[in-house]
Amino acid sequence: MERFDRLRGAVPARPHDARAIAALAANPGCGRRAVMDAAGIDKDATATHLGFPAPFGRSPFAITRGNAFEALVKDSGCAELLRLLRELLGLPIPLAAYTDLGDIGGNPSAHLRHAHTLKLIDRAARDDDEAGTLYDHPLLRLEIAGHTSYLEPDVVAFRLAGRFHIVEIKSFAIVDGQAEPDKVAAAARQAAVYVLALRNMLAELGHDPARVSHEVVLVCPENFANRPAGTLLDVRRELAVLRRQLSRMAKVGAIADTLPEDLTFDLAPDADGVPTRPVSELREAVGAVGARYAPECLSTCDLCFFCRDEAAAEGSTELLGRQVRDALGGVATVSEALGLADGTLTPGEGQEEIARLLRLADGIYGVYAEAG
Amino acid sequence: MSERLDALEERINALRAEVRRAVRGRDGALARVLRAELRTAERAWDRALAPQDPAEGSLEDSPEPAGKGARGGDGPGSDGPGSLVPVREQVHEALTLLGVPASARVIVAVHGALRAGSLRGTQLASLRRDEERSFRSSPFARPYYLCAALTDRLSASRGLLTVSTWPQERRAIGPLSPRVDFLTTAIRVGEHILRLEETGEPAPDAARRLLARLAHNVPGVPVPSAAEDAPPDPAVVVRAARAELDVHAGADADARARIAERARARLGDAERLFGGRLLSLAREEAS
Repeated sequence: MERFDRLRGAVPARPHDARAIAALAANPGCGRRAVMDAAGIDKDATATHLGFPAPFGRSPFAITRGNAFEALVKDSGCAELLRLLRELLGLPIPLAAYTDLGDIGGNPSAHLRHAHTLKLIDRAARDDDEAGTLYDHPLLRLEIAGHTSYLEPDVVAFRLAGRFHIVEIKSFAIVDGQAEPDKVAAAARQAAVYVLALRNMLAELGHDPARVSHEVVLVCPENFANRPAGTLLDVRRELAVLRRQLSRMAKVGAIADTLPEDLTFDLAPDADGVPTRPVSELREAVGAVGARYAPECLSTCDLCFFCRDEAAAEGSTELLGRQVRDALGGVATVSEALGLADGTLTPGEGQEEIARLLRLADGIYGVYAEAG
Repeated sequence: MSERLDALEERINALRAEVRRAVRGRDGALARVLRAELRTAERAWDRALAPQDPAEGSLEDSPEPAGKGARGGDGPGSDGPGSLVPVREQVHEALTLLGVPASARVIVAVHGALRAGSLRGTQLASLRRDEERSFRSSPFARPYYLCAALTDRLSASRGLLTVSTWPQERRAIGPLSPRVDFLTTAIRVGEHILRLEETGEPAPDAARRLLARLAHNVPGVPVPSAAEDAPPDPAVVVRAARAELDVHAGADADARARIAERARARLGDAERLFGGRLLSLAREEAS
């Protein structure tokens, strides 16, 4: 733990939200991200100080739109959602109970709300007959590399054949049965985080974690109207990736141990919170942990521009996307690949196969170039 | 015209009395709101008098169109001309029509569709707090208060408004209550349209649209095909909503009765209307 505190410097660790945890699962191979997340480092501030501010931050319009759509779905005791669940999962008519787990009076702390969620979910899992059906604003907890993060899924639906379903409400449209694959994938990853947290909670309470369904109900506006429609999303694959990534983070100490003892990402902020650490020094420190850049990082990681710049400077094959990088296994840079292809470079041990393929490809291109 | 002036004068007098009470109770915020209402009423009184007094008439730059009457405020803003009925009375009217606890969103929609009212969500934002302050400074001084619905933890349910004169059971929210109240809303809106039709008056389009929106989530109402965008038959909606309501009614009434029972046993007057504090929550945890 002290190791991570030293990496982070004198600032408090940043808690993870579901979005950040989901982004972890998006690039499980990246050591840089694993170490920085495990240490709870503010990657955005780091990237900004390095001169590569992150391209995101959601627009206030998108947030308003998302909230408005969620309010529409949840209006009048989740009237729209009940209709969807009745159509989608055959929820029987008598099951229409709605419990707001966030509504416990006053302005309760996260801890109190979590305890309340724990109590009611326990009661729900214990006796099916008296349990409610929809649980709004539950507060779940997930342990990430020693830090507790509180997560708030949109709705948890229960008692569909004795199982819990996570409901994820998103405001991107499903047009003619199709939605943007990126957004669906992101929603699935985020929902997987909730499924995992709820499963952990059930296990903690001594119930069968498998009672949390791996099928998530995704609610989106349909076509060009604002009318909600629901689909089932299988998140088993995302769950597996997430679990693997989280266990890796638990063992991230192993990665951290290989790092130099005096390494730190401390920005050394002054009294006003302005970083005072020399940029070149920080650049060196961040560079000490290996990253695995992929173009997908551009939509999920705060450090993406820095890593892209680094990969470009090295002429790394990672810039060309995951598929190319995997196809060029064992060949690190673009210039090396080109050298192998035109025969100016002798293949090293284990590179014979890929060199043969590259030379073949080069030959084919040569033939076409002469012909055309 | 003189009837209208009488009504206005009555209202001005009542408002003056309320302002006096608020000032005596050191309730600055409420007094400010009431004073604003008073000024609006006085301006309206001036305007109503103007046509009878040609010398005064030219002073008014925008005389209010006659015939709008003192009911159902018009104009987009609360400070606009004509919204003589104060917000709390408009909300009371909508809640009385529905007869169930309702969120600001539902109140605005229902009032807009059935009463051609022009409430806005933002006007309702501080209503409950103002009412609570008024009640605490001089309890039971008003004939009714707009107050909270109680959850099973006896705290105020988030966002719902009720009327203090309702029985405690109706102001309690059990697990099935949101659904029951939604179905009741659909029934009340449907019945209101049926009543209008009986008297030979066509229901306003907004009312039919509201009913269509509600009916969409009531099982058993035939879904209109995309081609003909016919609004649902109110009688069918009422019947379908009743059918589902019958399924939930018993269990919901029991849950509400239990909450009401506990509220009566444990809470004081103000808490019973506006929700218990975290103290009762702690007691709950301990028991």
